[in-house]
Amino acid sequence: MNATGITSPAGNTISTSEIDESCRVPLFTLFVSAAVWAVIASVFGLIASIKFHDPNFLASCSWLTYGRVHPLATNALLYGFAMQAGLGVAIWIIARTSQAKVVQPWLISFGGQLWNLGLTVGAVGILAGDTTGFENLEMPRYAVVFLFLGYLLIAFFSLFTLHNRKEPVLNPSQWFLLAALFWFPWIYFTANYLLLSHTPVRGIVQAIVAWWYSGNLNLVWFGLVGLAVVFHFIQEFMNRELYNRQLVWFTFWTIILFASWSGIPHSAPAPAWIPALSTVGTVLTAVTVLSVMMNICATCGHGCSQKENPPPGKFIAFGTMAFAVSWLMNVVSAIPGVSAYTNLTWFTVAQWQLNIFGFIGMAVFGAIYYIVPQVTGIEWPCLKSPRRHFWLAAIGIILIALPLAIGGLVEGVNWHNPQVSNVDVAKTALNFLRVSTIGELLILLGNLLLLGNLTVLSVRYYQKHFVPAYREATAELKPVEAKP
Amino acid sequence: MRFGPLVFLSAFFALSLSWCGLVLTPQIQLGRAVQETNSVAKSDLYPQERPGLARQGLQVYRANGCAYCHSQQVQQNGTLVDVVLTDAGKNSNTLAEAVNASLHTNFNAVGLAGGLPKPLLRETTMEEASSLTAVIKKAGGNSEMHLDPTGPDIERSWGKRRTVAQDFLYDSPVMPGSQRVGPDLANVGLRLPDLNWQLIHLYAPRAQVQGSPMPRYPFLFEKRKIGSELSADALHLPQEFAPADGYEIVPKPEAKALVAYLLSLRADTPLYEAPLTPPPARPAATNAPATNAPAK
Amino acid sequence: MSSPANQPAANAPAENAETQSPAVPVWLIIVLFLLLYWGAVYFDEHGGWFEPQVYTPYASAEQVKAFQVSGGPNPFDDGFKIYNRPTCSQCHQPNGLGQPGQFPPLAGSDLVNEKDPGRVIRIVLQGIQGPGLVINGKPFNTGSAMVPWASVLNDEEIANVLTYVRGNKEWGNNAPAVTPDQVHAIRAKVAAHPLPFSPDEIMQISPSD
Repeated sequence: MNATGITSPAGNTISTSEIDESCRVPLFTLFVSAAVWAVIASVFGLIASIKFHDPNFLASCSWLTYGRVHPLATNALLYGFAMQAGLGVAIWIIARTSQAKVVQPWLISFGGQLWNLGLTVGAVGILAGDTTGFENLEMPRYAVVFLFLGYLLIAFFSLFTLHNRKEPVLNPSQWFLLAALFWFPWIYFTANYLLLSHTPVRGIVQAIVAWWYSGNLNLVWFGLVGLAVVFHFIQEFMNRELYNRQLVWFTFWTIILFASWSGIPHSAPAPAWIPALSTVGTVLTAVTVLSVMMNICATCGHGCSQKENPPPGKFIAFGTMAFAVSWLMNVVSAIPGVSAYTNLTWFTVAQWQLNIFGFIGMAVFGAIYYIVPQVTGIEWPCLKSPRRHFWLAAIGIILIALPLAIGGLVEGVNWHNPQVSNVDVAKTALNFLRVSTIGELLILLGNLLLLGNLTVLSVRYYQKHFVPAYREATAELKPVEAKP
Repeated sequence: MRFGPLVFLSAFFALSLSWCGLVLTPQIQLGRAVQETNSVAKSDLYPQERPGLARQGLQVYRANGCAYCHSQQVQQNGTLVDVVLTDAGKNSNTLAEAVNASLHTNFNAVGLAGGLPKPLLRETTMEEASSLTAVIKKAGGNSEMHLDPTGPDIERSWGKRRTVAQDFLYDSPVMPGSQRVGPDLANVGLRLPDLNWQLIHLYAPRAQVQGSPMPRYPFLFEKRKIGSELSADALHLPQEFAPADGYEIVPKPEAKALVAYLLSLRADTPLYEAPLTPPPARPAATNAPATNAPAK
Repeated sequence: MSSPANQPAANAPAENAETQSPAVPVWLIIVLFLLLYWGAVYFDEHGGWFEPQVYTPYASAEQVKAFQVSGGPNPFDDGFKIYNRPTCSQCHQPNGLGQPGQFPPLAGSDLVNEKDPGRVIRIVLQGIQGPGLVINGKPFNTGSAMVPWASVLNDEEIANVLTYVRGNKEWGNNAPAVTPDQVHAIRAKVAAHPLPFSPDEIMQISPSD
């Protein structure tokens, strides 16, 4: 049971507050950036949504045309908010569960800065028209380099921290995070190298690689990280272990084996075996959902009542529900008869939003609201704000996912009827889109609340820690009394 | 699942399985694909490289994110077959008997042999069509089978057959799309081949399609003062969308490139993997040579 | 909110927890195996067994092959396309009348309309040049040569274009079609004669050869 690398005297455990203190720098970078990118994503998502009601809205500026605003919104949500916040929470979970201080926190923070630099450069590039054309991979080549390097820094030192753990037996959250940290560089490098290098793969293989990457990112990576967060916090809040550890092992294997084959849509212009494999993989993820829900329900027992939950608990509970619903939506939309009606419609958008924002987003919001006071030692400036944020975000995502799911099915039925003209299909979808625009607005307000709270908390932290230290460092030197 | 290396190895194993299955194998199978022969005229190769302006247009399509509202994936639910009698042979009596026995019809020999080619069976399965063809051949006649792909996309005239990998061979990036806010574009070069229609549609979609949710793309065009006379490529817009008096709207090179790309979009060449019976070409009435650039 | 370090809780009873932890429920394993079975059946029926040329809705390579209805719409139409590529039409003109003094006409030509196509196939395969060409009883004087097409057109193409030329009623031709097998047979025979024919040589060969 030797924890290698920790410079602690034999028998001394590192205190929780020391661990938290070592987390401050990286978490500050990652959480604040995530909050900023969440706001950016919601703003652009709202702009994109409004364009459906008024196609002339901001249409004369090439930088704000729908085809550029939409990928910016999705990339900002995916890479700017969800991944950064997820990585931040992952670092904290790893540090706490390993009982080890974060290794090289400043380098991790630098990795976060590189990530943000890449995102910013890429975001401007997308608006300027340098989008790559591949969904979820729109960041141009020059931005990808920074993103990749930033991730490597974050992941490497997080893994190093895990390596320094006291207890060699990994607990479930640690397995999931370890696998996820390793998963992303491979899929990201493969996809970007095969698609954006000077000799990209030819023809439809480009689309297949892009779909493969998308499925692995959205289901496997975010599934692993999201479930790690959910499992950890359910254990924290319920004050007990997960009910069935073997079932978690089962969940882990079903995610990495089955969800890694998802992503290729049924209508893909590729030989039949490729979408068929994806269909089988996606339908098999139903087992993942069953195992997770079983485990969580058994762990929580009757303690699931939301009324008694403080906001972080509410967020985690909602995230868990969203996980189940969105993954089951995915399974249903892969079933051969149904896929003809959900493919290429708003249903897939609804499922994606529910997965990324409803599941990951809400889970990391809950984690942030829990972690930040612990790590900084300062309470949230506005105590009602987390609760308000919860309701704004929850109602917002429901108002996005539900109408778009129904609208998508209606759209699918309409596309099957040649009597309905193209314009009429779009018109029937419009009513559903109207509701989803309200949802986007609510989510934006919620994100602004979080950003505001974080900003004020940062200012208070600065005032509490830096100002006195600065004053002390710059105080006038008192003359030393001469001793006789 | 206790130790780090075990977790790492299992993740490595699962990811390499998925990588082999969905990245490596498709690359081996499809990544070195070359032009295929057209299944109708074996000497025509498909696809041909898009003309240069159309290739530039592909980049405009990418840069403006057209693929977020338009797909390029025509789907097909099945293929039905028509059987058409083309030659009654030497003994039309025998033929008529055989056909009547097969189809439970009442053709007489003269009726059958006159007015060829005569469709005998419409929209049946391949099994029935093949058996009728065999019956006809045995009775000394000759027939053809015409293929009719079916599916909602095809009924919407979005294509004559499904799109296949070969249709995207020379494109980079390949953007099959993931949403259908607007119609599928795989065959838009066949469906809407008018250059001016496309340009006006880009500038003011609602001038061409009432109630269209497509955004305008005025930044692809230039509004300038009319010189001594109207430019040759100035758009002829309806009053509601026309610029102020004395001004004209002229497409920029990006708009022309994008429209060239759209007009080059067609995926109706019969291929081995997507068989199709195109309508028969009729010999030209004039002496002008028919152009035979293989359809792309 | 307290933060119970769940690691210490897991430390000591870790070994016990594993042995006492409930196993994966049997019904879940059964569901997994049912889904795997469904997946296998689905892939068998719809996966085309990794064939790169099987796309939905076709279920297998055999089915795709069955749908290859042979020959395209019409050898005549194919031949029209080949003729006007402008493989033949550049010299013999789209209307088949050729150019007096340069290229002989194909429309209404007795040589073209011979019942057996042996001569015309040879002319297309190996070319013809030299004086002494007689069309419809009248000599056709030309200094031009016809190049051989054996290496450019395959058997099916030669058969189709000859079918078109011989069967073009607008030109006044009404001779039987030519099959790729006939072309193939003659190609083998002329392999030993690499140079273009002269009109005398052609007239010495029987059309049914």
